[in-house]
Amino acid sequence: MKIARRKMTATVPSFAMGDIGFLLLIFFVILARVQDDSHVQWDPAILPNLEGAGAALANVAIDSAYKTYLNGEEIKNELLGPRLNAILGETPAGQRNVFLKVHREAQAQHFEPVIQAIGEAGGDLVHILEPEPEPES
Amino acid sequence: MKLPRRQLLIDPPAASSSDIAFILIIFFLVCASVQPETGMAQTLPRTEEKQDRKQQSRNLEVSITPSSIVLNGSPLNLDEFRRRLTAALQAKKRPEDKVVVVKSTPKTPYDHWIRVSQAIDDAGGVITLELESERTITVD
Repeated sequence: MKIARRKMTATVPSFAMGDIGFLLLIFFVILARVQDDSHVQWDPAILPNLEGAGAALANVAIDSAYKTYLNGEEIKNELLGPRLNAILGETPAGQRNVFLKVHREAQAQHFEPVIQAIGEAGGDLVHILEPEPEPES
Repeated sequence: MKLPRRQLLIDPPAASSSDIAFILIIFFLVCASVQPETGMAQTLPRTEEKQDRKQQSRNLEVSITPSSIVLNGSPLNLDEFRRRLTAALQAKKRPEDKVVVVKSTPKTPYDHWIRVSQAIDDAGGVITLELESERTITVD
C-alpha cells in the first residue's frame, strides 16, 4: 500500500506586513527631507503680522556663530550665489523661494552679503521669523 | 461546601506595545519637523553694477544704525518712520519711484533691520540694499 505523502505548505507570515509598510513609508518621508537644517543653532527675530512661508527650494541660514549654511551645509558667502543658481536652475519666477533664517543678533556685515547673493541668484527671498505673541486680554 | 471560584487573569496582549510606541515616536517626530514656518517675503531687485544715478537720487534713502533710523537725513523713531514713509510713497505712482535705498552700518543687528524692512514693505516700498564694495587699486 502506498501512503500518500503529506503535503507541507510553507507560507510567509503576513501578519506584520501592514506595520512594515507603514514604517517604510515614514522612513522614506524622513529621508526625502534632504534639506534638513535642524542642527543649525539660531534664534529667529520676532515680528508681528507674519504669513505662512510656503515651500522652499533652498534654505539659507546664519547661525549664532554667524556662519552661513546652505541646506544645512556650511558654505562660504562667495560660493553661495553660484550654488543657489545651480539649485534654482530654470525654475519660473514665483516658485524660486529661498528661506533665509538669520540669528536675531547677527549684524548687517553678516546677513547683507547673503541677501545680496540670494538677489543675484534671482531667488524669491523669504525671511523666516517668529510671530509676535498676541497680548493677553 | 462552598467551592472557591477560580480567578481568571486576563492580560491585554502586550506583544505589540513596543511597535506601537515606536510608531508613535516616529509620528511625533514627523509632526514636529513639518511644523509650518512663518515669515516675510521680500522682493529684491536684481543687483546691478551700474546704477542710474539720476534715478537713484530720486529714490528715498534710509540709513539704519544699531540705534537709529534716518529717512532722507532726518532721524526718526519706528512709528514716525512708518508714517512719513507711507506718506512719501503714496505720492509716488511709478513702481521704479517706490524703490527705497537702504544703507546699514555693519553693526546693525538683524532684529532691528528686519523691523525697518517690514515697515518699508508695509508702506509699499521696494528695498534695494546699498552695499559697500571692496575694490583693490594698484598704484604704480
